[in-house]
Amino acid sequence: MKVMVRGQETFISTGGRAFDASGNVLLFLHGSGQSHLSFMLQGRFFANRGWQVLTPNMPAHGLSEGAALTSIEDMADWVAELLDVLNVASANVIGHSQGGLIGLELARRHSGKVKGLSQVATALAIPVNDALLGMAENKEVAAIAAMTDWGHGRDGHRHDHTMPGQDHMNYGKQLMAANETGALFADLTACANYAGGADAAAAVTCPCQVILAQKDKMTPVKFGLKMAQALKVSDPVIIAGAGHMLPSERPVEVNKALRQFFEVN
Amino acid sequence: MSGDYKFNTLGLHAGHTPDARFGSRAVPIHQTTSYVFQDTEHAAALFNMEVGGHIYSRISNPTVAVLEQRLAALEGGIGCVATSSGMAALFLTVLGLCSAGDHIVSSSQMYGANINLFEHTLSRYGISTTFVKPNDLAGFKDAIKPNTKMVFGEVIGNPGMDIMNVPEVGKITAAAGVPLVIDATFNTPWLFKPLEYGANIVIHSLTKWIGGHGIALGGAVIDGGNFDWGQNDRFPTLTEPHFGFQGVNLWEEFGPAAFITRVRTEGMYNIGPCLSPTNAFHLIQGLETLGLRMERHMANTVKMLDFLANHEGISWVKHPNLPDHPDHAIAKQLMPKGAGSIIACGIKGGRDAGRAFIENVQVASHLANVGDAKTLVIHPGSTTHSHITPDAMKAAGLTDDLVRISVGLEDFEDLADDFNAALRIAGKVAGAAK
Repeated sequence: MKVMVRGQETFISTGGRAFDASGNVLLFLHGSGQSHLSFMLQGRFFANRGWQVLTPNMPAHGLSEGAALTSIEDMADWVAELLDVLNVASANVIGHSQGGLIGLELARRHSGKVKGLSQVATALAIPVNDALLGMAENKEVAAIAAMTDWGHGRDGHRHDHTMPGQDHMNYGKQLMAANETGALFADLTACANYAGGADAAAAVTCPCQVILAQKDKMTPVKFGLKMAQALKVSDPVIIAGAGHMLPSERPVEVNKALRQFFEVN
Repeated sequence: MSGDYKFNTLGLHAGHTPDARFGSRAVPIHQTTSYVFQDTEHAAALFNMEVGGHIYSRISNPTVAVLEQRLAALEGGIGCVATSSGMAALFLTVLGLCSAGDHIVSSSQMYGANINLFEHTLSRYGISTTFVKPNDLAGFKDAIKPNTKMVFGEVIGNPGMDIMNVPEVGKITAAAGVPLVIDATFNTPWLFKPLEYGANIVIHSLTKWIGGHGIALGGAVIDGGNFDWGQNDRFPTLTEPHFGFQGVNLWEEFGPAAFITRVRTEGMYNIGPCLSPTNAFHLIQGLETLGLRMERHMANTVKMLDFLANHEGISWVKHPNLPDHPDHAIAKQLMPKGAGSIIACGIKGGRDAGRAFIENVQVASHLANVGDAKTLVIHPGSTTHSHITPDAMKAAGLTDDLVRISVGLEDFEDLADDFNAALRIAGKVAGAAK
């Protein structure tokens, strides 16, 4: 569906089902240079099981209009405005990578809107090296290729997909290429500049969950475990062999872990 | 691992991880029609495309999926659907994009069955086609209309070996907002990957070089995922509610995979030209050595071109590698490793001499296929076009002395001996006719 947020048309995937704001809402927040499509196998799974799914494209991503937002804090405020537009009082928030930083900040700045927080392949901070930032600014195609490479684990590199006939790496490249030029650089800059993760985690009061990828090269497990500690999550889920893009690489394990969390929160 | 694996590694490994229970190194043949559901929820999830897996082998199959994923990886596509033949791949592509009242722009120099499909079959269902010579760039531009849903051509045209300037045609189709669909059978991804040069969809007859053994028919549709189907309302099959999946908009729901999802969910569900698991297994065996075989195909082709060009029994030789081929420059640019292993040549003495040559080769096989590991020859003047007059053949771009050679992998000295002997007999026939 499409709604207006800050005067710009915003696309939100609802997992292929009509959305009912009075139901149990799951809000999926995508990572840097991604779109709703990186959560496609979560959105459809939960929407078909009675949850009300919202996977917005951040501005300049996927099918959403507008200029890319430039700070994690502003992205969190934008998400809060989106929930207001949709008359959603609160939601379970699932953040992947950069989406996890937004989730932390949303839980700190708009705590009443976050019923539960699922942090997937993310950390308290996501520093970005200058080489990648430079590529994202000046050679976006190369940055996309590098991130697609680093973002995938064994299954992605073997082109072994759970959906028959599909390809992780090439799909990932096309998904990222479909965003507005400059959106990736804005995202990575926002990640690089974000320093509020530890304070935000300390302020989080809702139930939290952490799902990590064992072979994550972009947000390594050790940083995810520090986040789990900060969020007082004693039982982080670590998916063996998975890369950073585990929502698409390992949807069965991710969905199982998310479902267990949602069913009690 | 840094970056994607290279061609031969992908050909051997892409799409397959040995299973945890048995660890079979080779891709197993899942010779089954259907799959046991874990429970009703699992069944519903599969039908809703919420989770990956298989329901019924007309729609997908584990062995076929390995082949599909391997082909997608080799071509640089986001997904693939394998089909029972190359013709089925072309038909499902048309089905995914076109409806009654729509229009196709196609190369005029290509496999006869492709032309027949467009000209005689699709026209009965209200889909019209404008044919354009493959190197007529202005012709492609001028032929695109508001209801044009795809532009189609072969990289290496069959049988004339005209070379389509894919990058330039791709610029035209991109500017016009129409997808470029390329049949890449004769080049294979080892020689040229159309998706890297402006094409949006690639189709293959897997029966030819990719299989290479001549034991299994198959085809494939590979989606580049690089076309914006939502840029306007030209593609309602992908941007309006789909009749399945609760009326979702495939473009919004699946993004770059919208088209290939349509091919599977309509083409395989409603038409059903599926590839058998055993054929998929055979084709995978071929794919695993494609890189090695193509090196040998091209090496033998170079030797054969030299042999034919210097043989007194041959009146002319046609191949895009040769400087006198009209598309030599573009062939060299697009396919520096060589423009395929099909050669056309003229046997001195015309139709009767051509027949004599064909009937006297011993190593080469006289049959109607191309891309086999074995060298194949056919003489249209005495077989497929035997009832057609020389003038009518000329109008079709053929001559009655034409022999088509699909150069195989034999030791070249044996091929040379074989051709020398057959050409000697053809020469006698030609001499007697004088």
